[in-house]
Amino acid sequence: MFDRDTDGVRIELRALTKHYPGQPAPAVDNITMDIPAGELVVFVGPSGCGKTTTMKMINRLVEPTSGEIRIGGKDVLSLDPDELRRHIGYAIQQVGLFPHQTVAQNIALVPKLLGWPQAKVDARVEELLALVSLEPSTFRDRYPRQLSGGQQQRVGVARALAADPPVMLMDEPFGATDPITREHLQNEFVRLQKQLRKTIIFVTHDFEEAIKLGDRIAVLREGSHIAQYDTPAAILSDPADDYVAGFIGQDATLKRLALVRVSDISIADPLPDLALPQVTAEASLREALDVMLAHGSDRCGTPSGVLTYAALCAAVGSRPEEAVSGGDVR
Amino acid sequence: MSFGEYVISRWDTLSLAAAEHALVVAIAIALAAVIGVGVGILGHSSPRVRETSIAAAAAILTVPSLALMTLLIPLTGLGWGSTLISLTVYAFLPIIRNTVTGLRGLDAATVEAGRGMGLSRLRLLAQVQLPLAWPLILTGIRISTQMVIGIAAIAAFVDGPGLGNQIFEGLSRLGSVNSLNATLAGTLGIVVIAVLFDLFFFAVRHLTTPRGLRVRP
Repeated sequence: MFDRDTDGVRIELRALTKHYPGQPAPAVDNITMDIPAGELVVFVGPSGCGKTTTMKMINRLVEPTSGEIRIGGKDVLSLDPDELRRHIGYAIQQVGLFPHQTVAQNIALVPKLLGWPQAKVDARVEELLALVSLEPSTFRDRYPRQLSGGQQQRVGVARALAADPPVMLMDEPFGATDPITREHLQNEFVRLQKQLRKTIIFVTHDFEEAIKLGDRIAVLREGSHIAQYDTPAAILSDPADDYVAGFIGQDATLKRLALVRVSDISIADPLPDLALPQVTAEASLREALDVMLAHGSDRCGTPSGVLTYAALCAAVGSRPEEAVSGGDVR
Repeated sequence: MSFGEYVISRWDTLSLAAAEHALVVAIAIALAAVIGVGVGILGHSSPRVRETSIAAAAAILTVPSLALMTLLIPLTGLGWGSTLISLTVYAFLPIIRNTVTGLRGLDAATVEAGRGMGLSRLRLLAQVQLPLAWPLILTGIRISTQMVIGIAAIAAFVDGPGLGNQIFEGLSRLGSVNSLNATLAGTLGIVVIAVLFDLFFFAVRHLTTPRGLRVRP
C-alpha cells in the first residue's frame, strides 16, 4: 500500500482540523507537521488537548473536517478506510484484545485479513511472541483473560506489529500497567524500535515517557496547537515558553543527564580505577550521578575510565562552579 | 381411573398434543430469534430503531394472549396460524432487549481496536460483537421460550395445537369422569416440556459460549 512497506515512511499533516458539530472550538485546530520516516514522535499534552483526536485522524477512526494527511506521499483521505487501517499498526491503552480468541488468533487477525497463507501467519505469531518476550509455546493458546495486564499490553503491541506495518499509532499503550511493568515495557520497546525503525506516533501525557521513547516530541496545547516540536534534548535545554517549561518540571538538567549514556561521552582519564564505585557503559549519566551522590564521591569508575563530576557538568553544557553555586545550568 | 391409567390409556393423544405444543413453541421461537436478533442488531447502532422496537415489543406483551389470538382469527383463521403469530410476537421483547444490551455492553476498547485494525463493520459484527454478546442473546431466547410455553396453552381457545386442549377440556367438565386427570395431564405435560427446553438451552449455552469467555483467569 505504501511505497516502502515495512520500514517506516514519512507522515505529513497539512492544516488538519477536526471540528465536532455543536462545539464552539475545534478539537484539533489547523495542525501542520512532518513526521520523518523511521522516527518515533511523541505527542504529549494534557487530557483533552486533542492529541488522541489528531492521532485517530491518521487512521481515520476520526474523519477530519478539513486538511490533508499523506503517508509515504499517498493521500490517506482518498484510500478505503478499512484497507488503510490494515496497513497501520494500532495499539491503545485499554489494549482491546478479543476475549473469545486465543493470543495467537488475536495476533493473526490483520495478517489473515490481508490473506497471508496459514504457514506464514503461524511463523509470524511465533516470531512476534518471542519479540515481545512471551514464550510462544506457553502463551500462544492462552486467552486474554488468562494474562496479566502487562502481558496483555505486550500482546497488544505484538498484534499492532503483526502485519509489519510501516506506520504505528500508539495511544498510551503502556498506560494501564503498574510503574515497574511500565518501565520494563518501555525499555523493551526502545530496544524493539531500534531494530524495527517504524514511523511511530505515540500519544502520552507522561513527559518522562516522552523523553525516554521519543526521537522527537511534539508538546501540544489546547486544540492540538504545537507549543514545541523538537528532539527531547533540545526541548529540555531550550523550552519554547513557560507552558513547555511547566511540562518539563523543575529537574530539566537531571532529565537531560538521563538521556546521555556513559558510553556516549569521552572520558578524560582512560585508566579504570576499581577502587571507585562502578557504573556500566550502558548506564545513563543520571545513574552515574546517583552513584556519586550515594558514595559521597565526585567521581566513579566506568569500563572505559574514571568519570568525574566535572565531566557530567560538561555533558549538560555547564561549568562545575556555576552548577555548585546553584546558577543557571542551561 | 387413576392418573397413571389415564395417561397410559390416552398416550397417543397426549404425546401428539405434547409434540405439537413443543413444535409450535420451537417454530415461534426460531422466527422470533431471527427477527428479534436482526432488529436488535439494527437497534444497537440506531437509537430510533432501538426505542421504537422495544416500546412496540413491550406494548404487545400488555395485550392479553386470549384477546390477541381472538383478534387474529379474522386475519389468520383458527388453529396454527394465529397461534404461531401471537407466540412469535410475545417472544420479541426479551430477545430484542438482550441483543441490544449485549451488543451495547461490549467493552468499547475491543470494538475500537477491531475498527482500528481494519475490520469492516460487518466483519466486526460477525467475528467479534455477536460472539461476545451471544451468551446474553441466548439468555433472552431462553426467557422467551419459557414464557411462550405457558402462553401456548391458551391456543386451545382458538383451536390451536398443544396441551392446552387437555387443560381446558378438563376444566370445562370439572367434576365429571377424568376431568381432573385431563387437566393434570395437560399441566404436567407443559411442565415437562418447559424443563426439557431449559435443559436444551443449558446444553446449547455450554456448547456455543466461546471458550475464551469461560476460562478462569
